[in-house]
Amino acid sequence: MKNSILKVENLQYIYGNGKMALDDVSVEIYEGERIAVLGANGSGKSTFFLNLNGVYTPSHGRITYRGKTLEKKNLTELRKNIGIVFQDADNQIIASSVMAEVSFGPMNLRLTKEEVLKRVNEALIYMSLKGFEERPPHYLSGGEKKRVSIADIIAMKSEVMIFDEPTASLDPANALMLEEVMQKLGNENKTLIISTHDVDFTYRWAQRVIVFCNGKIIADGTPLDIFKNKEVLKQSNLKQPAMLQVYEMLVEKGLLKDTKEYPKSTEEFNELLDIMKNN
Amino acid sequence: MEKTIIVCLMLFLPAFAMVISLTVQKRNNEARGHGHGIGHRHGSWMAIDYFAFSSKLRRWNATFKLAFTLVIIFLCIGLNNAFVSAVIIVSMFYMVVAVGGLSTRDYISVLSIPIAFILISVIAIIVDFSKLPVGDFRIFIGFGYLYSSISMLFNGLRLMLKIIAAVSALQFMILTTPPSEVILVIRKMHVPNKFADLMNMIYRYIFILLDAFSKMKDAAEARLGYRDFKTFCRTFGGTAGNVLVLSLKKAEAYYDAMESRCYDGELLFLEEEKKISLRTIISATLFIFYLLLIWFFTK
Repeated sequence: MKNSILKVENLQYIYGNGKMALDDVSVEIYEGERIAVLGANGSGKSTFFLNLNGVYTPSHGRITYRGKTLEKKNLTELRKNIGIVFQDADNQIIASSVMAEVSFGPMNLRLTKEEVLKRVNEALIYMSLKGFEERPPHYLSGGEKKRVSIADIIAMKSEVMIFDEPTASLDPANALMLEEVMQKLGNENKTLIISTHDVDFTYRWAQRVIVFCNGKIIADGTPLDIFKNKEVLKQSNLKQPAMLQVYEMLVEKGLLKDTKEYPKSTEEFNELLDIMKNN
Repeated sequence: MEKTIIVCLMLFLPAFAMVISLTVQKRNNEARGHGHGIGHRHGSWMAIDYFAFSSKLRRWNATFKLAFTLVIIFLCIGLNNAFVSAVIIVSMFYMVVAVGGLSTRDYISVLSIPIAFILISVIAIIVDFSKLPVGDFRIFIGFGYLYSSISMLFNGLRLMLKIIAAVSALQFMILTTPPSEVILVIRKMHVPNKFADLMNMIYRYIFILLDAFSKMKDAAEARLGYRDFKTFCRTFGGTAGNVLVLSLKKAEAYYDAMESRCYDGELLFLEEEKKISLRTIISATLFIFYLLLIWFFTK
């Protein structure tokens, strides 16, 4: 049975200008889940993440981390275990060298110098950033900055890692690198929450999809359930993933037997076609 | 006789520097097309930062470099000797260019900025005004004389050398040590932490805001935002205002990001001090003794 890590109950968040950003959001997140959060710009995804991490204090509702309700005094504990990789790396990188930057989180956890050094090294190797230690952030490319911002969180050894639109403004090569990192982290049984607009990536990668619309969660389920639900897709302006569309078309035209084994990537689709050819 | 040759050489040095830097600037301007004032400053700032980052002397311990620079500046001012100053100018140039690997052109280009100021101020010292025909050289300008004398010229020269030497010593540090390392040394000197934190943030922010500004500037230029003086003023004002708003927004985003990584009022980074080799210390000490020796024999 899966263990619950985070439990959000009736979360409500109102901005200073009176705009309600989150309205009665309840969700439970389990260990080792790979969750994609979908929703239009301004639908409350980022606000939701900042609430999860305790940066924003909810106007109403409760967040429980491993059975402990979030309060002012255990905020550090929560932040230690829930790391956010921000959308714009330039808004996250504060130090003037990569080494100093990655050490910022672990140093704030008041670890010993040796431990910090060890973690920083591990994180740099993980994100293949060895040799960049002394580099100031303004001499890094966009992809490198993104890698640094991910290394920041890896060095903190957070249980839950949140990525706020990680693929935004990355070139295809870096987007691929990012997807590999996601796979790798997923295999290590980290709990990952990613907000994205890329339905194809979501379909390939996620185990669970949460859809936000106007500050509310309008759907929560497996990618297949969500993407087959025309109502939800219409409400949140989402498209069906190309793979799903192709599969359904082939079934509809009678070219493919409906085995209910949905191919999620082109490789899987290729295998399916091979099986079909051999039959 | 020897003294005259040296003095002539000395005189030649800044003039040479000026000529080179002017050609460099001209070439840069040509390459950049029509540059507005801010564009140029932007470029030179980034260049100095980049020189420090790419210098081979970056491996040296920053505390050592800072201490060495300070000792050199004190010697230069305290000894007040033209020969000591000349040796400092040449050796700092040697250190940054030959050992550090910076190109001569870039070194002189950076040095040309303070030299221009120094030359202007030295003119005020070597030239004086009098109603009577005094001094060794003079020009009659209707109601009096602008005059100068050999001793005034020598005085001016000594002063100029002293200033250039002190500036070169400072430049040695600036061109070989990235600001983050200087901030680390400042932190170690028990300057209140808030100052060091602020310096760190400001240093990081300079690049973020410059970047934002240059993007806005390009976008405005693409829409003819700088076609004439009136539009220029309006566009510049608009851009500056937007940069302010942006900086406030960025500050907020920054704070959120810092808080999410457990920030609680103190900027803590792991920064490792570079090792100092015994050889460097010995050479530095020898160099200081050498300067004292020169002073002793020429005073």
